[in-house]
Amino acid sequence: MSARPAVPVDERLIFAMGGGGFTMEPNNPLLDDFVLSLARAKEPRILFLPTASGDTTAQINAFKARFAHRTCAPEHVSLFRLRETTRSLQEIVFEQDIVYVGGGSMRNLLAIWQAHGLDKLLLEAWEAGIVLAGLSAGAMCWFQAGVTRSSGPPETLAGLGLLEGSLTVHADGEPERLPVWLANVRSGALPGGWALDDGVGLLFRGKRLERVVSSRPGASAQRVDAIEGELVRNRLEPELLLGDQPSRALGGLDEAVEELRRVHRLRRGMGRGRG
Amino acid sequence: MPSRAPQIVALGGGGFSMERDGTLLDDYVLSLVDAARPRVCFLPTASGDADHYVVRFYRRFSPGCEASHVSLFRRDQGTGGVEDDLATHLLAQDLIYVGGGNVLSMLGAWRAHGLDAILRKAWRRGIVLCGPSAGSLCWFEQALSAFHGAPRPVRGLGLLPYSNCVHYDAEPARRAEYHRAVADGMRGGFAADDGVALHFRGTHLDHVVSSRPDGSAYEVQLDGRRVLERRLDVSYLGTPGAGRREPAPGCAAHTPARAAQEPVAA
Repeated sequence: MSARPAVPVDERLIFAMGGGGFTMEPNNPLLDDFVLSLARAKEPRILFLPTASGDTTAQINAFKARFAHRTCAPEHVSLFRLRETTRSLQEIVFEQDIVYVGGGSMRNLLAIWQAHGLDKLLLEAWEAGIVLAGLSAGAMCWFQAGVTRSSGPPETLAGLGLLEGSLTVHADGEPERLPVWLANVRSGALPGGWALDDGVGLLFRGKRLERVVSSRPGASAQRVDAIEGELVRNRLEPELLLGDQPSRALGGLDEAVEELRRVHRLRRGMGRGRG
Repeated sequence: MPSRAPQIVALGGGGFSMERDGTLLDDYVLSLVDAARPRVCFLPTASGDADHYVVRFYRRFSPGCEASHVSLFRRDQGTGGVEDDLATHLLAQDLIYVGGGNVLSMLGAWRAHGLDAILRKAWRRGIVLCGPSAGSLCWFEQALSAFHGAPRPVRGLGLLPYSNCVHYDAEPARRAEYHRAVADGMRGGFAADDGVALHFRGTHLDHVVSSRPDGSAYEVQLDGRRVLERRLDVSYLGTPGAGRREPAPGCAAHTPARAAQEPVAA
């Protein structure tokens, strides 16, 4: 399969998490279930890109553990292990409903994507309506800029620029990034943007922020802009995810059984709900 | 620092990472270093800084060397790799050992951290550069890399003005793929089997050595519209007698071809 046609702007989705999901919240599937709910497909094909970590086995195993028993078709692509597949990256990317990008080194992530031409493919994927999601480096990469610790101390780094503004992550978990980001926004070196706690995600429809969601009570996001050299900070209260989207977990059951149960639930008028 | 000739040892495969108990190629590389306790730095970038690879490097090199490694993925985590000033550290080495893996990913990450420029400087200063597979391909102007689909030419650092192909005997389609690439415009160059090392002084191929009695290396060039493959003389590093022959040292690169030159369909 080659490139797919572009969809209208308001059908392009990006979900950017400040931290959380299967690599950081092994016992909390709320954000990952939310990611699956963003795809139109009943059984979305979800591709994990662990590039920013150097394709660690730990991240790949955590991905499999989270998604293997949910109603989706998961796979991952390694840009380090040789000869895993004969399909081209283009074929693999355009078969997906969701591309999920893991955390790690934002600098390496972008450089390696560029070396393989994956940066261009992901832009085309977004334009074609494939949902882009990710945490940490895998969230900041979609914006004009982020704050990375790829070389040790926090520093700013340009992203792919699909979304306007800048993003900083782990605002509660790794507090040393925030002052670097604020100073750069204040000076005008970075455009205004968002700071996200672990567990908080921003959903963008086209380039417009549509929802702020969280997997943890108390976690928050802030929007920060510099106006005449002063920082204007607005706290955004996230919607706490309660698992009210249809659960994709199969709990190890055969998919057909789960399907049957869903039909029974519907017939009994129970509608949606966690199994 | 005394001036030393630039040296690169490009392994078609082999060394501590790939040969179970083979130390011949690594010993050969170390023999090029004039130091009682050589400073050896490992770059596992092409593997994504895989932990098991780093561990095997230290197991092999820390007994006789001042061993260190640089991780470009965990620079924020203080996991024992070199941090801070990469240039100062790398330019103080006797040997820089580049691990195998994906050459495109490695070159991308190197560029992002400025390692391409540092390695070029290290080479000019006579710090020995070596490595298998991706750790061989990277030094050449062009390389044949098979990854996600059909093999294609990749631009390397260009220290050596040739193309390179590795694992020449290990993967059946490699030879045909390399010949096709050269026929399609990739510049001529050198192919090495697993266990075979191409030793360059400056940009001149000085020696070809092997840890296996039957290891081979080839020069592949376009002659008009035909691809010519010339087998190079290889010095077997193992016990004499175990090899099929004992060539005189120093005559590797420019001796007449031993095998008949076979034109290959372009």
